[in-house]
Amino acid sequence: MFEQLVGKLPVGIGIVDESFKVVYLNDFFLDRLPHNMRDCYKETPVVELFQGQGKFLKRRLKSVFVLQHPSFSYWEQRPHIFPFKSSRPITGEETQMYQNMEILPIKDKNTGQKLACIFLQDVTAQASYFRAQQKLSEALKKEHEAQKKLIRKLDTAQSQLIQAEKMASTGQLAAGIAHEINNPIGFVSANLNTLEQYATHLIAICDGVKGQLEHFTDELKEQIDALFESNHYDLLKDDITELIAESTDGLTRVKDIVENLKNFSLETTEGVQIVDICAVCHQLITLISAQYSTPQYKFECELEKVEVMGNPGPLKQALMNVMINAAQAIEDRGFIKLTVLDSPTLVTIKILDSGCGIPTRHLKRVFEPFFTTKPEGQGQGLGLSVAYTAIEQHQGKISISSKEAKGTVVEITIPKQPAAQPPSSEDNEENKENETENSQTA
Amino acid sequence: MSIVLPLDEEQRDALQELLNISMGQAANSLAQLIETKIDISIPKISAVTPTQLYSLLFETEDAFYTRQSFLGDVHGEVMSVLSQAGLSEVATLMDYDEPLSKEDIQEIILELCNILAGACLAGLSDQLELTTNLNMPTLFLPDKANFDELQWQHSLVMEVQFIIAISSFSMRVVFCLDDESLARMKDTLDELLA
Repeated sequence: MFEQLVGKLPVGIGIVDESFKVVYLNDFFLDRLPHNMRDCYKETPVVELFQGQGKFLKRRLKSVFVLQHPSFSYWEQRPHIFPFKSSRPITGEETQMYQNMEILPIKDKNTGQKLACIFLQDVTAQASYFRAQQKLSEALKKEHEAQKKLIRKLDTAQSQLIQAEKMASTGQLAAGIAHEINNPIGFVSANLNTLEQYATHLIAICDGVKGQLEHFTDELKEQIDALFESNHYDLLKDDITELIAESTDGLTRVKDIVENLKNFSLETTEGVQIVDICAVCHQLITLISAQYSTPQYKFECELEKVEVMGNPGPLKQALMNVMINAAQAIEDRGFIKLTVLDSPTLVTIKILDSGCGIPTRHLKRVFEPFFTTKPEGQGQGLGLSVAYTAIEQHQGKISISSKEAKGTVVEITIPKQPAAQPPSSEDNEENKENETENSQTA
Repeated sequence: MSIVLPLDEEQRDALQELLNISMGQAANSLAQLIETKIDISIPKISAVTPTQLYSLLFETEDAFYTRQSFLGDVHGEVMSVLSQAGLSEVATLMDYDEPLSKEDIQEIILELCNILAGACLAGLSDQLELTTNLNMPTLFLPDKANFDELQWQHSLVMEVQFIIAISSFSMRVVFCLDDESLARMKDTLDELLA
């Protein structure tokens, strides 16, 4: 009865002797033997009967015989010890059987002979399930990674939007303030003009009185002299014109700055129109020198006017951002030079500064949005990226070269007449040719 | 709920001696199998809390861990800590071909632990005339958090270190017994001493 039971057990049971020869195999093993071997398996070395992992099997059997201690093997490390097919040859996903093996030392009750009992468990279903799970978890992990990436992108996009929003509202604010300032500036400057006239009149009156002094009585003369004296007339006369002239000057500058500010903030939505690059450069210099007074500003252009078709707002913004960078690069002393070069189809603007320069490792990244070397909160790292976008919009090119501690040159090239259609490859080639020409002339 | 059952001086000495013998047998078994000399440390016997057990296991850096439970007259677990260094020399001794795959390494670790833990346990149970059956070993990564949540407060721990002379490989085997088994072992020790 036990013989039958052992034979039919759903696990493989095999017994081998110390020379690794097979003593007994149950049905689990026998069913998987070639037909002709079923009756003559006894006394055959187990490694001959089941080829494949012979070396491993021998080693394990040896260890069991030597140590008289069970040995284990798992499908995770060694899936197919016995070369058996999956028990579902038709419908199963796996072609080979996954096995867990245990070898136990036993002894023949009658002879006392040392034997080893091999238990073989078919764990194909488990293994297959486990592997499916693993695949699933890997797929999940991948998806998770992808989502993470997407979230990061969204985050960046969101902060970019916020930034853009901020910039827009700052511009509006500036425009509003500029408008508000314009009113008082209007009447202050009108009043100052009148004041100047009045001052001239007053001085004329006083001078007239002084001229008529001879004809007055001594007493009156003395009194008038004392009056002039006590009010420091001579000093007052000299100073008043100067003061008024200076104030007028100052006021003109304030007007200029406000005007420029308005230009920069209001024109963002304007369409394509003729832009005079020279005038823009002058405006910029006025505007920026007001804030950054350390560098010397120079402007060079052979012509009075260089005109391009473009969107004034973004163009000015681009030039301004580059200029601000240049101005910030100069700490103690230095200069910023703007050069405008004109050619039949292109305009090249060079902005050169003698500032601190950009380290080579940063040079590649300066046009990246949010790349900044400034301490946190002091710069958004958007200046050059905005400039880049604006110049791209004008089908132009912006390039930067720099040497640390020497200075930086930013070269912007824009076509005078942008192609109406999106540039085809032909146009691009033309542009390139023109550029090379241009750089040669430059 | 669990009260430590401290071993008295005599019991402790007896256990120490038994451990010495069984560990020696274990080292011998392994030495026989891989045909090389193996040194063993003097077994340490102590009572530990889960946290202490954790730090005991983590004394070795860059290690592999396995655990294996045993049932029978006494119940408990064997945990093994194997150094990563020197494993490839041992693999060669065990007749594995270079280069070792991840699966090879796992297999070697499991086999080494099985041999050593098995031999130690067999030796010890033989001398105490107890029957024990060792279950299959599994790889194990001790997690501090899990150790803090363990339900027992104290456990008897027997620890021994095996060093393979020709390589930098070393391995520690830590036996832990549950309360009931400890009481049982105490009785057995008393019988032996009587």
